[in-house]
Amino acid sequence: MTKITEKQLIASLSQLKEIKPNQEWASLLKSQILSEATVETKITAQKVSFMEAMVSTFTSRKLVYALSAFLFLVVGVFGITKLTPAPQIAKQPAALTTPMVSSQEVAMLNSKIKDLASASKAGNIASIPPAVTEVKAKVSQVIKSIKDNPKQDPQTIKDIAASLKTLADVPGTDLSSNADIKDLYQTVTQSQISDLKKATLTEDQKKTLTEVEDLYKQKKYSEALEKILLINNK
Amino acid sequence: MDSLNEQFSQIYDQYIDKIYRFVFLKVDSQETAQDITSKVFTKGWEAFSAQGSTVKNPGAFLYQIARNAVIDHYRGKGRSKVVPVDASPDLADQNLSAHDKAVLNADIGILTKSIKKLSKEHQDIIILHYLEDMPIDDIAQLMGRPAGTIRVMLHRGLKDLKDIVQES
Repeated sequence: MTKITEKQLIASLSQLKEIKPNQEWASLLKSQILSEATVETKITAQKVSFMEAMVSTFTSRKLVYALSAFLFLVVGVFGITKLTPAPQIAKQPAALTTPMVSSQEVAMLNSKIKDLASASKAGNIASIPPAVTEVKAKVSQVIKSIKDNPKQDPQTIKDIAASLKTLADVPGTDLSSNADIKDLYQTVTQSQISDLKKATLTEDQKKTLTEVEDLYKQKKYSEALEKILLINNK
Repeated sequence: MDSLNEQFSQIYDQYIDKIYRFVFLKVDSQETAQDITSKVFTKGWEAFSAQGSTVKNPGAFLYQIARNAVIDHYRGKGRSKVVPVDASPDLADQNLSAHDKAVLNADIGILTKSIKKLSKEHQDIIILHYLEDMPIDDIAQLMGRPAGTIRVMLHRGLKDLKDIVQES
């Protein structure tokens, strides 16, 4: 080419639009690219169809109903377990349970009985009435506790029995007619008899227990208690 | 997926000639142009199937892939721009007379060789603007340059091409 203007050059450039790829090659390339895409699509579609099959299996009506029923049962069982209150006895506060006779009460009773015994032994007539009053008061407390809670510690009952033996030995006091002391004797004797019946006893102890039961029936509680103490000391 | 296939099929039909032409005018042989063009459309399909309809301008997208592919072709193999004598393109209009076809082939041959002597950026701008009728703004966006710079480069490129053609 010799001299050429820009317009002519631009016109010549537009002729380059005639450059085109071989049509067979272009068609082949297109089919190659799209066929690979189709294979990938099929693989993906297979994965998707498998997932869809799984989903449809788990979403079929029968399975949904079965699953719902199962869940309903599980929720029901767990719900009942959760909603049902636990045994109330265990949850009750200790303050609401009937108090046992404390060792302190027994010790106080024993102390008052010893004071009374000392005053009686020393012939301190002035000290005997207040001591008797205190003993009566302590006995009232103890018998109240035992009546409120008949299931007392066996060792506590034994200690009370020992205190009552001491009281019975105090001369110059007329406490046998006191109702509370009578009740205490009766209660303690009855408790000791039932404990001894459960225990393994020798032949002699069994004979003594029979005598105790007879005395109890005769309402001779202090005597019955003395024999019980004999059995315990054997 | 089928719709993606159909969409890409349409894009392929729309751009195969343009991309091939764009590549052919920048490389040294028909085979290399076919090889790079096939890579462009394969990459294009991979991106299109992954991104789908998010590819807003498929033309610009394919031209960008083509530009990078040509750069990779020269960079990777350290090839110089040697233009073979037999690098004659297929012409679409097969109804031309033998004389006209010879003239056209001669002109196209000269122009093709001349374009390949331009700098890569001038090649891109001239091909995209005068052959593919791409607006200056779109070329600017594709090349990441201001539109004014593209206009200046287009003017200089055209002047360089004119000089090269006149020298040949």
